[in-house]
Amino acid sequence: MINKSKVSGAIFYGSLLAFILFVIYILYINQETLFTAHDRSEYIFGAPFFHRLLSKPFGLMQYVGAWLTQLFYEPAIGAGVMMVIWAGIFFVGAKASRLQGSSSALMLLPIACLLTSIVDLGYWIYIYPVRGYWFSQSVGYLVMLLLLWAARCTSRKWHLVWYLIAACTYPVLGWFALLFILCLALSEKPTWRELLGLLLLVFTAGIWHTLLYSNLKSTDVMLAGFPRFKTSLDCSERLSIPFWVLGAVSVLISLCGHYLERPKVKVFVPVLCAVAGIVFTLSLMFRDHNYIDEMRMVRYASDDNWHEVLELAEENKRPTRTMIFLKNIALMNEGGLLDRSFKLGYEGVGVKNPDSIHVSLLNIASPLVYYNYGMMNEAIRLNFENAIQVGFSPFYLKMLSRCALAKGDEKLVERYTTILHHHPFYNNWQPAPVTEKVKELLDCFPDEISGTENTESYIVNSISFWYESDRKSASEQALFYSMLRCDPRSFWPSMRNYVKLHMDERFPLHAQEAYIIYMDKDPEEKRMMLPVEEEVYNRYKQFNATLAKLVKPGKTLGKVAEEMRSDWGDTYWFYYFFGRQYTSVVGRKDNEIAN
Amino acid sequence: MKSFSHIYTLFLAVAMLLLSSCVNHPDVPSSSKEAGCLPAIFPDYCDVTVPCNIAPLNFMLPVGEFSKCVARLTTSDGQQQTYGKGVKVQIPEQDWHTMLNASKGKSIKVEVWGQKEGEWLSFNPFEIYVAEQPIDEYLSYRYIEPSYAGWSFMEIVQRNLTSFKETQIFNNEITMNDLKIGQCINCHSYQNYKTDNMLFHVRLSNGCTVIVNDGKISKVNLKRDYTISSGVYPSWHPTAKLIAFSTNKTRQGFHTLNPNKIEVYDLESDLILYDVETDSVSVICNDPDLLEVYPTWSPDGTYLYYCKSVPLPEELRDKDIRSTYQKVQYNLYRRSFDVASHDFSEEELVYDAASHDKSATLPRISPDGRYLLFAEGQYGCFHIRHNDGNIVCLPLDDSDAVLRAQEGEETPSDVDLSNFNSEGMPDSYPSWSSNGHWIMCSSRRDDGNFCRVYFSYFNNGKVEKAFMLPQKDPELHISLLKSYNRPEFMIEPVRISVEEFSKVF
Repeated sequence: MINKSKVSGAIFYGSLLAFILFVIYILYINQETLFTAHDRSEYIFGAPFFHRLLSKPFGLMQYVGAWLTQLFYEPAIGAGVMMVIWAGIFFVGAKASRLQGSSSALMLLPIACLLTSIVDLGYWIYIYPVRGYWFSQSVGYLVMLLLLWAARCTSRKWHLVWYLIAACTYPVLGWFALLFILCLALSEKPTWRELLGLLLLVFTAGIWHTLLYSNLKSTDVMLAGFPRFKTSLDCSERLSIPFWVLGAVSVLISLCGHYLERPKVKVFVPVLCAVAGIVFTLSLMFRDHNYIDEMRMVRYASDDNWHEVLELAEENKRPTRTMIFLKNIALMNEGGLLDRSFKLGYEGVGVKNPDSIHVSLLNIASPLVYYNYGMMNEAIRLNFENAIQVGFSPFYLKMLSRCALAKGDEKLVERYTTILHHHPFYNNWQPAPVTEKVKELLDCFPDEISGTENTESYIVNSISFWYESDRKSASEQALFYSMLRCDPRSFWPSMRNYVKLHMDERFPLHAQEAYIIYMDKDPEEKRMMLPVEEEVYNRYKQFNATLAKLVKPGKTLGKVAEEMRSDWGDTYWFYYFFGRQYTSVVGRKDNEIAN
Repeated sequence: MKSFSHIYTLFLAVAMLLLSSCVNHPDVPSSSKEAGCLPAIFPDYCDVTVPCNIAPLNFMLPVGEFSKCVARLTTSDGQQQTYGKGVKVQIPEQDWHTMLNASKGKSIKVEVWGQKEGEWLSFNPFEIYVAEQPIDEYLSYRYIEPSYAGWSFMEIVQRNLTSFKETQIFNNEITMNDLKIGQCINCHSYQNYKTDNMLFHVRLSNGCTVIVNDGKISKVNLKRDYTISSGVYPSWHPTAKLIAFSTNKTRQGFHTLNPNKIEVYDLESDLILYDVETDSVSVICNDPDLLEVYPTWSPDGTYLYYCKSVPLPEELRDKDIRSTYQKVQYNLYRRSFDVASHDFSEEELVYDAASHDKSATLPRISPDGRYLLFAEGQYGCFHIRHNDGNIVCLPLDDSDAVLRAQEGEETPSDVDLSNFNSEGMPDSYPSWSSNGHWIMCSSRRDDGNFCRVYFSYFNNGKVEKAFMLPQKDPELHISLLKSYNRPEFMIEPVRISVEEFSKVF
């Protein structure tokens, strides 16, 4: 008997330990996600933000959640606080559901749901407009369990009062208030009190809609706080699964948790719960190497840490388009754009996300990219366009502050930094001084009236026309982007301007490659003669010979490209012939005959 | 004993909480160093003239620079009180209104001390002059981010100017049924500062114009086959159930370098008259080559004032507006109106802005009919996005001045609004309080980006220093990342609830 109890205890604590280690591991591998969560989560000190959230049910939880999310600035601290809340859920939940010993492991299941809900978002992290998402559900659930514990500690005759209390807390707890009523009603033998409780459950939201929230849509009041993943462009049912499961598990625990107290069953409960929790989280967690690398790159780029951006670019062989742009900016700042850019890769892959959501450079890093190219008005515009939808999070406030500094709008800098100073980790934050590169690019282009363009190709096209600038940086960018466009009309003026402004400097490798191929394929009438290295020229001849040898009727361009990639993938010529097909024509069928 | 100690602790905690929420009357620092200047308080309320019924002018010292602030307010009858908590001075409404009542026609002296790096500084005292004339009790505006193409939550709210109470008139979520296209709400407008006849527009999802006619709500579609759009910028006739609207094909573009950042322009615009009782729309003017916009009635309803563009030079006429927008300038015109027949006379030029290489927009006539207030910039029709946008006031009873204006001579002896306008920041959307003693505008003067509401005292053509709409927490003007759009005075609140409005859809 003693042995059985010891075994049962060992299984329980072993399972618990395994689950805790799993949670720590998951949070550890997602620390970049957690940092990004804080960076893209709006929390603004002061009455407007507070009142805005409190004007809807569950708003207080969202406010608390939004504040706590700021702790993810240091992912370890945020994750630590999150784990303390989950530990609270475990203990309070076990007490509230009267789970004893091994059966208390059932509370691992709600924790697994909550853990899943913060690691399954994927690219929704950039577009999800609900404030305080990251903590509000855990905090709300903990408060609900505390209420449940208190209710179950009182005599049954008082349960009706608890149902009323829960109904009254709907503006604070939202859907958790309803879950409380359901759990309490199902945890006892049904009587008229429970029936009244269930009736209350049905009408609570409606009553509150009439009493307090008549200026809201009824659908926004029903099941308030239950995360729905819907924007004007995207919708996901998948991401709501952890919350449906959380609700269902909570109800099931209340309904039949005590059946698991039987010794024969009890032994297996911890193992089953831990395994179920782990499998559930792993099956829904978003995993993608680029997703994490991209976040890291954005963080480094935000700190002007271009060296680290390049390190990441060198490690990653299949970067996203956002990563390509950040790499190009890093090369602009660290030097070597026209020597290394094509060696480091240029084939941007689309973001991988099970929801096929509309996320691109625009949402991930557009203000950062435009800022570093000195296109300040566009950077400010895109900051606003994004922040209006998803909130004025630290990322956008920092970028707005930097843009204002670059534009010389000191009062605006003061406004944004004052707001940021109310954040727990930004109380001394000041925008980094505007770099010489940015200053050089600030007004290197004429003023024009543009529309709402924000695509990657808008950046490429705009910069390729900077060939009239007398700034060295601008001429380098114009040449590079005209090379990317493969357009001789912008290439030749860019090359001419570049050469004029970079006299007595080494002719960069990729610029030589471009010069050779344009002289060969798209020469100007009045040819510009530039000296190129013999080795580069000979290599071009070899490239042409290889190309001629491999191109055969019936063979696709893709096939030829794959055969040439290992030897020639690091050259501009390869990009000129094959690169564009992959980067500019999405979904094009690889059936063109190379002839 | 143990339970008693718990109760005692709880009692102490509650008492502390209550005490901390009470008003703080700090002592004036016993010793301080003279700063020799006025305090850099935010908002700047130094030496302003305020209405005798305005909400407390709470202010603060800069957070990073100072750690504490104490202010001593002294009324002309010698009553004194100190306020200050942290760097903020927040005066209870009751105290403030007692002080205002005691100081009507006189002033309140304000002495400010600020603690900087442990040392107290005393600033030069300033006065808050209390005018005998009150301001309209209510103000309504739309909250919107200074956005470009996108928007999210939007609300039209009303604020009680004698307190800090703010309530929602309508929002863009309650009736939005298509998240993909969204909903925009705008252009709230009232007849004669009263709310039993009012309107606002709803665009895109569930688009219409919501009109309240003697308290009865209806939604109408103002688009007709012969108009270029539904009604846009409205103006209620002061006595009849008529509304003049402009109809516009408006576009906006974004500067890649210019500090103005956004350009809003009309491709086409005309004026229409909507008869609320008969639901009929008639055209007031629709010159196909020129742009007529921003109608406004004279207070007696006998004239309709509006803006009309000046013809572009021949060589620019067929060019893309994106290359000619800087040449589009508007003058101010008016037509007399016969309310019985609904007939308009021929138009007459009121102000030839173009002859000064300027563009005039958004005219508003003072309730006594003696002054014309409008926004002016170098070009275009949307000066709230132009850094040179300023408010101009012309005396209308000076017939010589108007004549000179019509003849394109130098600006007539316009009222000096240097106390009202900002330097180098957009000021626009001017209006008059119902008693004509308070003028108001929407201005980006604080930082060039977020619009705030400013008021000035106006008395016989003399204008006092402008002051910002007071808030309970002065820091709200920093943390609020929205603009105040289209501020309109009202003498009574809108009594229809959001829900009631929503039922009309």
